[in-house]
Amino acid sequence: MFGFNRGKLLVATAVLATGGLTLSAVPAQAFSPHLEVGVSSTEIKLGVTLPMTGTASPGYNKVPGAMKAYFDYVNANGGVNGRKITLVVKDDQYVPTLAVAKTNELILKDKVFALLAPLGTANNKAVAAAVNPGRRGIPVLFVNTGYSGFANKKVYPTTFTMLPSYIVEAKIMAQYLKENYPDKKIGLLYQDDDFGDDALAGFKQAGLNFAIKVPYASGSQGVSGVPATWIGKLSAAGAEVVVLFGVSSATGAALGTAAVMKYAPKWVLGSVGGDATTIKALGVPAGVLYNATGASFLPATTDTTDEYIKLFQDINTTYNKSAVFDNNVLVGMNTAFVTVQALMAAGANPTRKSLIAAIERKGASFASAGLTPLNFSATSHVGFAGYWFGTYGPTGDLKPNGGAYTVYTTDSAGGAVVKSTYKRPAMPAKGLPN
Amino acid sequence: MSILRSKKSRAISLLSATTLVTMMVVAIPGSAHAAPACDGGLAINTCGGVTSDGAPYVMKVPGNFNGTVVIYSHGYRPNINVPAGIPGYGGYVVNNTPQPGPIAAGNNTAAISYLLGNGYAIAGSGFARQGWNADSAIATDVELIGAFKTKFPTTKHVVAWGESLGGFITQGLAEKHPELIDAAAPMCVADNIGAELTAAGDFLWGVKVLFDPTIKGGNYSAGAAGYGEAMGDLVKFFTVLGKLQAAVSSGAWPDTSSATGKALAAAGVPSRSALLLLGLMAGLPTQSAHFDSISGPTGALKLTFPLAVSPALAILENGANAGGLAVLATHDIELQAGGAVYDNTQTDYRARVANERVVFNAALSGNTVIDALLGALSPLNPDAPRAKGNAAAMAKMNTLQANTGKINVPTITMVGTADPITPAGSSMRIAEAYAAQYASEKAAAIANYKKTKSYVSPQKKLLSIWNTTPAAYTTFDATTGAPITSTPAASGTNHCNFTVDQYLVVAKQLVTAGTTGKFLSGATTATLVRKAKNLSTDPLISIPLMKFYQQ
Repeated sequence: MFGFNRGKLLVATAVLATGGLTLSAVPAQAFSPHLEVGVSSTEIKLGVTLPMTGTASPGYNKVPGAMKAYFDYVNANGGVNGRKITLVVKDDQYVPTLAVAKTNELILKDKVFALLAPLGTANNKAVAAAVNPGRRGIPVLFVNTGYSGFANKKVYPTTFTMLPSYIVEAKIMAQYLKENYPDKKIGLLYQDDDFGDDALAGFKQAGLNFAIKVPYASGSQGVSGVPATWIGKLSAAGAEVVVLFGVSSATGAALGTAAVMKYAPKWVLGSVGGDATTIKALGVPAGVLYNATGASFLPATTDTTDEYIKLFQDINTTYNKSAVFDNNVLVGMNTAFVTVQALMAAGANPTRKSLIAAIERKGASFASAGLTPLNFSATSHVGFAGYWFGTYGPTGDLKPNGGAYTVYTTDSAGGAVVKSTYKRPAMPAKGLPN
Repeated sequence: MSILRSKKSRAISLLSATTLVTMMVVAIPGSAHAAPACDGGLAINTCGGVTSDGAPYVMKVPGNFNGTVVIYSHGYRPNINVPAGIPGYGGYVVNNTPQPGPIAAGNNTAAISYLLGNGYAIAGSGFARQGWNADSAIATDVELIGAFKTKFPTTKHVVAWGESLGGFITQGLAEKHPELIDAAAPMCVADNIGAELTAAGDFLWGVKVLFDPTIKGGNYSAGAAGYGEAMGDLVKFFTVLGKLQAAVSSGAWPDTSSATGKALAAAGVPSRSALLLLGLMAGLPTQSAHFDSISGPTGALKLTFPLAVSPALAILENGANAGGLAVLATHDIELQAGGAVYDNTQTDYRARVANERVVFNAALSGNTVIDALLGALSPLNPDAPRAKGNAAAMAKMNTLQANTGKINVPTITMVGTADPITPAGSSMRIAEAYAAQYASEKAAAIANYKKTKSYVSPQKKLLSIWNTTPAAYTTFDATTGAPITSTPAASGTNHCNFTVDQYLVVAKQLVTAGTTGKFLSGATTATLVRKAKNLSTDPLISIPLMKFYQQ
């Protein structure tokens, strides 16, 4: 640049004039290094948008509390390079236009350093078009959606995914179905948007054929009489196994209606729609999940033999008012855990650029509760890529089939589905990255 | 039709206020192409005259004239009378009454008063021809500037501003004649005619092929027959929009729907989803005067309304503006070009909505419905014939004034982010063109530095002001939960829907830039913007370009 930063010059001059002899003792921050937006000498400010109120909020609204709990734990243990992490939470009610407004608030008013775990495919698409964090160079860490498109670095240069993509999930699920129900008539109930499109693409790649496919428009699950039409179609087609690739409210509606209509196939639930807490919050008894098959990429929330689960449960007790420890809490805490490592890797005075570079450079080695590795690199913004299958108990807890995690992994492209050989490294001492 | 009330009242207020402002001028006889005749007022010397093309103009010069004159260009006025009874435009009579400045809602002329009160002169023409008149209007403005300088030789600076088509004229004036003006402020600026007709025309075409195939939509006959067809189209268009409005909840299709429309209706496709898709294809904003696509009534529809209904209602309000203009402007340009100028034979509507179909998936009723609608609108469907323009007429249209976005003088733009007539994408195109221009100027400066070791930073010459919508603004009847549409249009919505304070931000920047060559300081600008409310100068704001430029 052809000029001087007047502020910097004055500070430097003052230091030289008055403290030259003791220069070596002056803390680095006395030189007023350039601090990125959202970063001060004492704080790093992050922001999240997701539904905190309204009919789409149950379950999801537990994620920020879990992330905050882990950040509070880190803050109580010295923070990130001496800075405490603050999470600003904005309620978008799951409405894309509101997500745009709230994201603008986070960026322009709250001046956050990075966006963290914004939820929803439509909302993230709307924000990308109308706010364009990529153009602004603002990191969008670990979007809370499995839509495969967000891993496209050319289109979303500052976005990183965390959840396995819906394509990955469908491919792995197809493998599971082929292995376990080779001769059964399989039906598919799916959300008729990009979420479902990803699933269809995954099933197609895996060569799984369905006896019947029933799409439902997002939101129609709440319309009286609509779930009965799904069940009627699935039943009429003689589907013995039904895959449900939808949100939890659709799961609740489908399973509840099927019970009333005396239709009892083997249910296989996608990870998005298999959250018992959410289903219970919607007024559907968790028992409807009993004996259904589900999938997860993290350890079971009841698995206290897992060191991450044990730690996160302890943090949840101390810092999250002992909220019910479910998958939403686990995902939130694990996301925060990875985020802290990313911030630490971004340097003593992190910038948005250094944060993105750090994840690309070191992200694959970040510790995590995940049972498959993170796949971050200079060319990949993809997080996890694997699932294990389990069975829901009478209270809605998902436990691995056979008592052990058999994890499958693949990619969103044409890669084969294989059993993962990944051995998760030990957790950093006290769950505090260093 | 209630959704047009705000637009109609806005139009009426403009006409009424214009009449008031120019009453004194009317009393002053002005002969064609002669020196302006003035009333010699001491506080305000009001002059009137006619340029060589027959365009009447008005000048108002305060007693303490400071040497700067502010030239205003008014927006689009139809070039044909519109019979009474037609929503929005009914009763309009072609007029070329000169307008010397912007008028805010409620006939508020405070922005004009501010300029006069601070020693600035104002002037404006009524233009010789109404309709899309940029070429002739620029020439008229050039002559008006000359007449003013001749009459008032102490003039030191000339700045120009205008709204809508007047903004386009202002930008064109700055591009073609930077030697005549020192600063410019194209507000709610229209884009080139091809882009404007594409946006409005796509929506009108969609309404025609799905909801009422008897709408002609263009390729109007010559003379009185064509006029009748256009007026008939306006009636049909607003009638079918009324039916769609009435059926927003039920999703029923108008009885005038095409065979394709009826088949979609039979398949369970809600008409509101079809309407929304048409708006998205055309690039209309999904926020409108009364619908924010955010708010829902208390109760069961709290989430469903903003997700599934509000975007369609926003398109209904915005589409009323766009479709009405489509009829009038298409008829107008066809008269000038000698044939059909709207052509969508090559338009890929599926690509147009690739992103929007995800964002508004719920309101569009899911991918199956979206694909059914796009299939119905594809060129392969004989029941949805594409409109083919006349090659010669289109070529002639393309010879009309086209702005590149080049910034020659300090320029201020201001536009509502949800303007349905001149979408903010038009101002964004100027911003993007200038970003490239500035980068080029900076590269040249650096290259010069390497040669001379003397660096002169290029001066920023564009200030983009965005009139944003409030955080949430749809209101609902406390008893019925029905949305309320009788309130004034929200900030950032409707066409050129600015407050006096917002006009004043532009006015102050304009005269400052015109006299000093620089904008007000960043701190002063920030204060003005904050006080005016609902404005943003965020340099990294992301506004989609008009669909015409996304093809």
